[in-house]
Amino acid sequence: MKKLITTFLFLFICSNVSNAQEYMSESGTAIFHSQVPLHSFTGSSDFLTGLVNLEDGTIDFYLDLTTLDTGIQKRDRDMKETLETGKFPFAEFFGSLSTDFNPNDTSEQPVKVKGDFKIHGVSREVTIDGTLQMKPEGLLVTANWVLELEDYDIVPPSLLFVKVDQEQKIEIEALLKPTNN
Amino acid sequence: MERKRAVEDGPVEDIFLSGSIAGISTVEALPAKNLNSMVMHNFGLFSTGIENFFGIDGGAAVRLGIDYGLTDRWDIGIGRSGLENTVDLRTKYVLLHQLKSDKVPVQIAFKGDIGITTQKERRFDYTFTERLNYLGSLMIARKFNENFSLQVSPMVAHFNTLVLEDGVPTPNHTTFGVGISGRYKLNNRKAFAFEYLPVVGDRNPGTINHMAISYEIDTGGHVFQLFMMTGQWFTEQHLLTRTDTNILDMDFRFGFNINRFFGIGK
Repeated sequence: MKKLITTFLFLFICSNVSNAQEYMSESGTAIFHSQVPLHSFTGSSDFLTGLVNLEDGTIDFYLDLTTLDTGIQKRDRDMKETLETGKFPFAEFFGSLSTDFNPNDTSEQPVKVKGDFKIHGVSREVTIDGTLQMKPEGLLVTANWVLELEDYDIVPPSLLFVKVDQEQKIEIEALLKPTNN
Repeated sequence: MERKRAVEDGPVEDIFLSGSIAGISTVEALPAKNLNSMVMHNFGLFSTGIENFFGIDGGAAVRLGIDYGLTDRWDIGIGRSGLENTVDLRTKYVLLHQLKSDKVPVQIAFKGDIGITTQKERRFDYTFTERLNYLGSLMIARKFNENFSLQVSPMVAHFNTLVLEDGVPTPNHTTFGVGISGRYKLNNRKAFAFEYLPVVGDRNPGTINHMAISYEIDTGGHVFQLFMMTGQWFTEQHLLTRTDTNILDMDFRFGFNINRFFGIGK
């Protein structure tokens, strides 16, 4: 009887995940890698919020930039000043899947998404490579791309007279849970 | 999807640029796992003139120190000053953070410092306890706007041992004072700051209230502070009880502090 209940629960959870069309998370991870000559550092946040709708292919992600942590408070403050987080608190992406994704396949599938990425009040159309993977707990999303600061009118700060590199490598990872929609 | 801030309220940041101005501590404690290594200097008296290159040739008083944030409210530190070979152990705890919402309008922190004079003394054979001196300070500060912050810090200093000189009235083992400090930001990187430390009640004979004016440069990982100060020490218990030079006689000294901040993990 116990085995039967366990099997039933497992099938229920699996069917619930595979039937779901909309997935969401408010605790994804976003990481950026930054470089100055002879030195590199990373900043990360666990407050990445994302929504994926598999029915219409919509992808909607945003991050409260004030939650980024580089490990040194003074550097965090510099970063917030550079990004003007008082005026532009979010980095946002809104777009859609431009390649196919099979929700019944549990392997990691490479996908492309196309849409508008907005940071520092500047929005640009981008195409980003990533992966989607259906897991028992939900939908795992990963992506990485390079952000050019000048494309978004961000003036790189100087760290003791040395300029931070224009290129910032961005990574995101989020396990999105099925919503009730 | 509606955009929502992850944290709606939180502590006001950068009430001051570092944990101290010239010699007086501020309400800023280091966040958890942040380390600040400090080199604090000042030189001889400006009034000694060009022959002494306005004090620069007069030899430097130097305090080397390290502070470390145990939590986002509590840091500990150790330093050594060349003046009487004084080692000091200190701790600072933020009792209350000023909040962006202004629900808490001030930041309050407590600082304790124990100084140990390790210099060999030819005339006396001091015990360890006799070599100790103490400071307790309550710092209350408010950042009024993006540029201006003000702090009041009532404090008490105690010295276990005092040396009586012939013909000099008995000095006090315990002295009270109220530090007044402020900072005005010129831009994101530069600021002017000041500190003034009047004694309240009985004071040691021949002493004068300490004061300093500082120009601060924040580069992100470093804070440089260039200042003119009357006191020679970098510990408040000594600034309060040992400052004997008067700025009106041009008796101040040029000095600078270098603060270098590190992150030790996340």
